[in-house]
Amino acid sequence: MPLAEAVPNPYQPSLVRIHDFLDETPDVRTLRLQFVDDNEAGGFAGWEPGQFGQFTVFGAGESVFALANAPWRPNGDRASAPTIECTFRMVGKVTSALRAMSKGQVIGFRGPYGNHFPVDDWKGKDLVFIGGGIGMAALRSAMLDVINRKSEFGDVVILNGARSVGDMVYTDEMPGWQEVDGVEVVRTVDPGGETEGWDGEVGLLPNVFEGLGLDPDGRIVIACGPPIMLHYLFLSLGKVGYSPDQVVTTLENKMKCGIGHCGRCYVGPFSVCRDGPVVTWAELNELPKDY
Amino acid sequence: MTEANVTAAKSEAGAVPENWKPHIVALVCNWCSYAGADMAGTTRREYPANVRMMRFPCTGRMSPLMILRAFEQGADGVLVSGCHPGDCHYVQGNLVARRRFTIFRSLMDFIGVDLKRLHFAWVSAAEGHKWAKVVSEVTTSVQEAGPLPSFEHPEGWGGIDLPEMTGSGPQELDEQRLDAIRANLRKAASEVLTTERAGVVIGYGSGSLPDQTHPVLITKTAECEKLEWGQGCRNNLGAYVGSALEKHERVAVVAKTCDLGAISGLIREGQLRRDQLLVIGVQCPGVRDGSGLATKCLSCSGDPHPICDLVVTVEGVQESCEDPSAAALDTPDARDEQIAYLESLPHEERWQYWQRQFGRCLRCYACRAACPLCYCSTCITDKHRPQWVPTSIDHPGNSTWNIIRAVHLAGRCTGCDECARVCPADIRLDLINRKLSLEVERQYGKIGLDPEEKSALVDFRMEDSEEFIL
Amino acid sequence: MESSWKLTDTQLRKWLSGLLDGNSVVAPVEEDGVLLFRPIASEDQAVVKPSGKTRWSPKEFLFPRSEALYRYNFKGGTVQLEDPPVPEEHQVLFGVRSCDASGLVRLDEIFLSGTKDRLYAARRENTTVVSAACAAADVECFCTAVGYSPVGEEGSDVQLVPLGEDWMLRVLTDKGRDLVSDAGDGWTAATAKDGKRIAELEKSVAGQIERSPVNREWSQVLEEGFEHGAWDRLAQHCLGCSVCAYVCPSCSCFDMNHEANAWCGEQCRSWDACTFPLFTHHASGHNPRETKQERYRQRVLHKFAFREEDEDPFRCVGCGRCVSLCPAGLDIVNTVSAAVEAIREEGADAAR
Repeated sequence: MPLAEAVPNPYQPSLVRIHDFLDETPDVRTLRLQFVDDNEAGGFAGWEPGQFGQFTVFGAGESVFALANAPWRPNGDRASAPTIECTFRMVGKVTSALRAMSKGQVIGFRGPYGNHFPVDDWKGKDLVFIGGGIGMAALRSAMLDVINRKSEFGDVVILNGARSVGDMVYTDEMPGWQEVDGVEVVRTVDPGGETEGWDGEVGLLPNVFEGLGLDPDGRIVIACGPPIMLHYLFLSLGKVGYSPDQVVTTLENKMKCGIGHCGRCYVGPFSVCRDGPVVTWAELNELPKDY
Repeated sequence: MTEANVTAAKSEAGAVPENWKPHIVALVCNWCSYAGADMAGTTRREYPANVRMMRFPCTGRMSPLMILRAFEQGADGVLVSGCHPGDCHYVQGNLVARRRFTIFRSLMDFIGVDLKRLHFAWVSAAEGHKWAKVVSEVTTSVQEAGPLPSFEHPEGWGGIDLPEMTGSGPQELDEQRLDAIRANLRKAASEVLTTERAGVVIGYGSGSLPDQTHPVLITKTAECEKLEWGQGCRNNLGAYVGSALEKHERVAVVAKTCDLGAISGLIREGQLRRDQLLVIGVQCPGVRDGSGLATKCLSCSGDPHPICDLVVTVEGVQESCEDPSAAALDTPDARDEQIAYLESLPHEERWQYWQRQFGRCLRCYACRAACPLCYCSTCITDKHRPQWVPTSIDHPGNSTWNIIRAVHLAGRCTGCDECARVCPADIRLDLINRKLSLEVERQYGKIGLDPEEKSALVDFRMEDSEEFIL
Repeated sequence: MESSWKLTDTQLRKWLSGLLDGNSVVAPVEEDGVLLFRPIASEDQAVVKPSGKTRWSPKEFLFPRSEALYRYNFKGGTVQLEDPPVPEEHQVLFGVRSCDASGLVRLDEIFLSGTKDRLYAARRENTTVVSAACAAADVECFCTAVGYSPVGEEGSDVQLVPLGEDWMLRVLTDKGRDLVSDAGDGWTAATAKDGKRIAELEKSVAGQIERSPVNREWSQVLEEGFEHGAWDRLAQHCLGCSVCAYVCPSCSCFDMNHEANAWCGEQCRSWDACTFPLFTHHASGHNPRETKQERYRQRVLHKFAFREEDEDPFRCVGCGRCVSLCPAGLDIVNTVSAAVEAIREEGADAAR
């Protein structure tokens, strides 16, 4: 068979319909998507927490979002087609167009791409998830996976930080997470971002994290957020005594193709879309400061 | 562009189908012409139905990009219509637009667009009858012009030979005299730095290939020995002044006479102040382009211009401070004969000539990068909401890019030819720029060196010519 | 499997003429004074000489400047997708210099690794490369300084070696054999003496290239000195266009955009370059490579460092186009050696 026929078009997306959405904040929305054609869903290979997808608004372009719901593994006992969730902030051309779409409309999805969080390696360990703003979206899949099979893991702390109370994502779901035995949810807003009646913490994420006084021993930190937050968080983590291989994060470079070809997400030899986005702090230290 | 491109409806073989009707896009101002068209409707005047109207607040809001966009999307003709001079809802929008469209029209003609497809009109709110008449005339005219020629490589077209450009060029400078100039230049630069008249001297250092130099930014007197002078000093260093001013309060720049127009343009347009700049004019042997003298040098004396702060010649270094308002660049141009030749050809042939050139464009934007006057922090071609210039690197988008680049420089460009020099595809951007300068000069007077002067295309006179406007 | 013949220029032209039957033949042609690869309609259009190269590489015939990745129509409240047909016509890239042929192999390493690119794969499969070794170096050439050769065979299916007025034609692959087919029946076999000419050419052209070689160990030095202040100095006159990347035989970065109207559209891929600020600019406003110096460093390091294995070739094939065409006279080899020298002298961490 000629090569070309054997090679599928890696760029052609599957069609997914906006089944439902939830406005997390004035500019952040979570979409719930279902495949238009169930057959395509059947050929879908499933995903692991931490992987991402390319979402297409036809006429506007593509945008990269983390797959935000609990992982879908086709070899499990799920017969039904997967639902895909993603949480995005309206910042550019595509996200603005996506935000303007309503239930029932069709967008494109291709993926999943990238590596994933080594959730199975975390069995028996205590976990801290630290998300800054929209960074929570990249952690949600792993968090839900852990919560769904909580008995396999130790204590879980979820630290959800936002600039202000109005910018906090997943507020509807947090009480549900908190109810699970051994899960503690800590919410914090930056100083000045609190409102009257705010019952969470006030302070920058790294400081609030330090304040929790969590013993590094046997604990894994999974952190995601803007570059400046991660910079200070790593300083705190180092100070408190975490070793770089205990800390996992994701790189959020600009991506286009999703398959390591287009060249823009490279950090040195490391293609974020192909070799990442999940990296340990130790791995990050080996890369040039180009992210 | 996409398959829905209406040109697809046109005959493949190029023959015009019998029942062919033109697509015409009308860009109309909200206050006069749109109301005029409305009036035509309510008074039941009959006129052809080929026109699709787009409403704008004012002709002053209409960019040539919008006209280009219409052509690129398959319109065979475009009509721009607004309020009569003096009636603008925004006082002067249409007066500025009149100049802009005068110049744009001449460019479109130059690149081979049949002017039967491009029309301008003043139609007031009360002139329903005039709207009907204008639309009928425009429709007939576009019908005559036929379908828009394709944006594509003119397959099998043999090309044309432009007349040779001639000129004596600057006075020849032998190596000994060049050495003297170099020594004087280094001395001048060194003094500028020692006396802190500027924090940095932007000049030329020797390059890695024979006869090649590269721009250097010198901050230490010891490094002044690196300064080169000769026929390889091609760059217009005005392009580096803006970024140098981010680090230094005052910048000295080595300039050939051909570089001065752009530098004074930067001052005129508020990008820098005269007192932030120290211009070192140097006697120039002309620069080489390929095997011979660059075109711009053919008609240049090479003498440093007296508006420079320092003038470096074989003899030495002089302070100079001639009043720039009196100064002009007197440039009969070797290119003018080529322009005249192109203009003598039928427009179909000009279209082929330019389509073949634009087709080679790689969209590397070297033309933009090298131009001192292309200083916008975000270029129109990088804006994507909306995407005015198609990102596809093919004929329609390339044409739009090359045309709009020139339009944005009309009335500002003084012909340093950097864009044409750096173009890896040898697109004759210099001819386009020169054509626009000539047109601006013919209509509105010479583009001078006076930083106080207003650029022609942001200015207007009530009595500006408008013989082409319906 | 090698077969080689000695052909006169007339015989070569005749063969080229025959190739036009059933193939799209792409060869250097002169257009408005610029030498470019273009599909030719007759053999006399082709400019095939013992030396000299086209203004830019023929990479656009495998990796077009712009192409539709898929198309779509808006219909009945949903979207219909359409896969573009894969290119089926067989193409011959004729008269490709050795550096450019190697450049194509560098592209293969991107587009055919991991998830394969369908359109590229189809074109690649339908392409036969007839390369032409060089009898002389252009002033900007430096292939031998970066580990390539003016008579290199990499990426070629058939190689033409200039022998004065004549050519030696060497079949290097099965694809090349198919292309020669029975045309070779009337040709004279090349002699051992002709074969020796290859080594002689290599030596003589290498002698014309005066640059000192880029040492393979420098990759490591460059990576260690990533944050060294030298980069700021070395690239301060970069103007931030993308001539270097677009004329480069091995640069392969691209952008993806939708071009659409109310009825239909397409996902379009176009060349892009790491020298543009928007290349890495996040929608949030963050840009990992904020300055033109950081962007130029990326281009240099992507050619000479960040290699997966030490024995991998440099991604710069030494054609020198980026040197001769840079509007600001930047020289990639000089930059590399100056950076290495500064990093070694001042230590990898010397501040900006």
